[in-house]
Amino acid sequence: MKRWVVIGVLLSVLGGALAQTTVRLAGFGGDNTAVVSNLLKEVVNPALEKEGIKAVYEGIEGDYNASLLNALSAGTAADLFYVDVNVSEPIFASGKVEPLDKYFSKADIAPFISSLVQSFTIGGKLYGIPKDFNTLAVVYNKDLFDEAKVPYPNQTDTWDTFKAKLTKVQSALKDVAGLCVVADYARFGEFAYAAGWKPINAQGKTMLDANFKRAFTWYTSLVKDRAAKFAPDLGEGWTGGCLGAEKSAVAIEGAWIGGFLRDKAPNMNYGSTYIPLDPQTKKRGNFIFTVSWSLNAASKNKDAAIKVLKALTSPEAQNWVLNRGLALPSRKALSTSAVFQRPGKENELNRVVFNGSTQMGGVVLPYKFGKYNAADWQRPFNEAMQAVITGKKTVDQAIADAQNELNRLMK
Amino acid sequence: MATQTISPKRTLDERFLARQRWARAGWVYGTMLALAVLFIGPFYVAFLGSLKDNPLEYPFRYTFPQIMPHNWAEAWRLGELGAGNPWLGGFKPGAQVPFEVSYFVPEGTEPVSPSVTVPTRRAGAGIGAVLEEVQASQYAKVSPVAEAGRSPAVLDGQQGQIVRYRFTITYPGTGPTAPRLPLDVEAPLSQRFYSATLDPNRLERRGRVASWDSATPGFFGYTFRNYVRVFNEARNPNTGQSLFLRWIFNSFVVSLSAVLINLVFASLAGYALARMYLPGKNLIFGAIILLLAVPAQVTFISNYLVLRDLNLLGMIWGLVIWIGIDMARVFLMKQFFENIPREIEEAALIDGANPLVTFFRVILPMATPALGALTILTFQGVWNEFFKAQVVLAAQQDSYTLPLGLSFFRNAYGQVGDWGLMLASAFLSMIPVVILFVVFQRYFVEGVSTSALKG
Repeated sequence: MKRWVVIGVLLSVLGGALAQTTVRLAGFGGDNTAVVSNLLKEVVNPALEKEGIKAVYEGIEGDYNASLLNALSAGTAADLFYVDVNVSEPIFASGKVEPLDKYFSKADIAPFISSLVQSFTIGGKLYGIPKDFNTLAVVYNKDLFDEAKVPYPNQTDTWDTFKAKLTKVQSALKDVAGLCVVADYARFGEFAYAAGWKPINAQGKTMLDANFKRAFTWYTSLVKDRAAKFAPDLGEGWTGGCLGAEKSAVAIEGAWIGGFLRDKAPNMNYGSTYIPLDPQTKKRGNFIFTVSWSLNAASKNKDAAIKVLKALTSPEAQNWVLNRGLALPSRKALSTSAVFQRPGKENELNRVVFNGSTQMGGVVLPYKFGKYNAADWQRPFNEAMQAVITGKKTVDQAIADAQNELNRLMK
Repeated sequence: MATQTISPKRTLDERFLARQRWARAGWVYGTMLALAVLFIGPFYVAFLGSLKDNPLEYPFRYTFPQIMPHNWAEAWRLGELGAGNPWLGGFKPGAQVPFEVSYFVPEGTEPVSPSVTVPTRRAGAGIGAVLEEVQASQYAKVSPVAEAGRSPAVLDGQQGQIVRYRFTITYPGTGPTAPRLPLDVEAPLSQRFYSATLDPNRLERRGRVASWDSATPGFFGYTFRNYVRVFNEARNPNTGQSLFLRWIFNSFVVSLSAVLINLVFASLAGYALARMYLPGKNLIFGAIILLLAVPAQVTFISNYLVLRDLNLLGMIWGLVIWIGIDMARVFLMKQFFENIPREIEEAALIDGANPLVTFFRVILPMATPALGALTILTFQGVWNEFFKAQVVLAAQQDSYTLPLGLSFFRNAYGQVGDWGLMLASAFLSMIPVVILFVVFQRYFVEGVSTSALKG
């Protein structure tokens, strides 16, 4: 009997010490660890201190998506975790992620950019609150355009006028390419969206139609028509690398290029504008690259986790991130933030990328491909682009081959 | 039949043999040299890359500012002037830093003084982007740029002159010490940058702007900048401790514990299996062999679940327990002990030694080659262990071992093309294994030459 009393006393003492609920957060490793840990330390944890909630971030190195799947099936997943939009559908379909509709009212969700919220809504249920996002923009080196005496790219450019400008720059400055083209769906897809093509149609299939062909023909003709060079030929792997090394006058990238240029070419005099318009549809297209905070369906502290989730996506937290130039906020109201209105090349870039998700972006689709794995689904496209750009196949042949491969994948 | 006199061909034979000897030596040395180049070459190139501002530059240059002795001397001197710290540099109150740049001005162009600014620089990517740094731009004052002299010159066949300019950067008043003093010098496009007190880190805007990460870098800050960053940038946000130092410490704890556990258990178990009388000994040995045959992937999930239930996930002790005892090592020691003649033990027995004394005083000293090999293999294996470390230590930055730390750096820096820091950290993580090999390599040789059977 005495022993039970002692154990009871011990347990109650322990209970007192454990009154603080710890909410585990998991996401990408590397600098994400530093960013989120600092955000928790300075904004989230102070706000939740009196409720006895403490959030701890665990950054996962290596393949995050594989780790997340492992953790979800082993039952060791964190209470809140990142879900990258490109793997979101299979993960949400697994039933391991809690729908958020009962925790967030319509009014709670309304302040978030609707295209982002849509990205994480499946079958009418919301499975994640967008943490931040990126879209694509045209970033150009003003010095090179000045030197070539060519007007800067602007938001009224169509594919044709944009290409003409690039051709002029490349012919005027012998050692600089207009654009350096990559055989990557993530830099080409937005043109096809603008042309009216749907990556996954109503029947859940991918059909490479005439609209797709128009965009594909234009994109792969850039090198042949001397408006661009193929990035691997310049010894670079991405369009930003070429721009940073002054090997090309233009890059098509997201806001991440700002940080890269700050290190690589801090004095570069660059400007940013929107993706050019399709001359036929008069529309532009764009991708949304985004990551959500989602709730573990097996979490033992759902209520505390929801409070942390609300604090993580609160205007204060998003302002903290935005003011440090670390990411773009997912709340509409922050589009009027003073940070975007400040002069300066990085603020201009952020403004253009932010607006890329709105009406201004045109046909904006999240970077996801239904139930298909992003890498598998994109491979036929990337191979087709590579084959046409390097002159190994004609456009028709490459599209036919890609369609065959896609059909095999979708069987 | 006339007798024919034949002169002996001895001299020719000897010459032929000598030539053959030389040819053989040539082949042996040539092959060794080729192997050395093959193995050391990539390390050499990677090391040079880790010193560069842009390790990915193509074509690869073997001479660049960071390995020029005159830059070492200047970086040392400027570090001393900027912060009284010739190793790491900086910029502290009272500093006076004179600086000189020169431009080539082609004939017919009037030289224009360049404009000098101390810009505000924040790291754009990686962990540095999150850290707040004291900015030298808030405190530095740049004196007016003065022309210091002209001399006629021909550059790439073009007539012209080299114009030298001088200016001084000062830190008046009081304030905090800035870790670095970034500098930009901009001149019109017609003037070509020629030289400076310290070679710039990069030329930007088609050669218009010469840009320094720090004009007062100090020797390490200039030559080994990426190495300094490895220690400085990755810090625990809550405690401010350097993560890289922590990872080195963890790696040593894990590796040394694993070596120690293996030395004790593998030699004891190996001896027992080789020599002691033990019922079912062969069954145990059979089980060990069977375990060796089972792929690690099969036991992986069960091991993980056991560690989870023991609450050891996220702790380096979990990793030590998992990789501490290795059946292959027991097997190795058993085979070694079996080669020691029984007569030695019998002699010890006659001298009155009990089994423990026999083991520690007689057998173990004879087993140093095997123990040396065991140490090297275990240490190196555990030091480089990535997969199990990632499973056990996932997401606990403070518990990471070095391979996980490198993966952390790859996530934070590799994605933005900042490979210098990655190369530097990979080099640092390699050093202990290299030292270990140098120290223990004679055990490999001894393992071949000493055979207990001779005794």
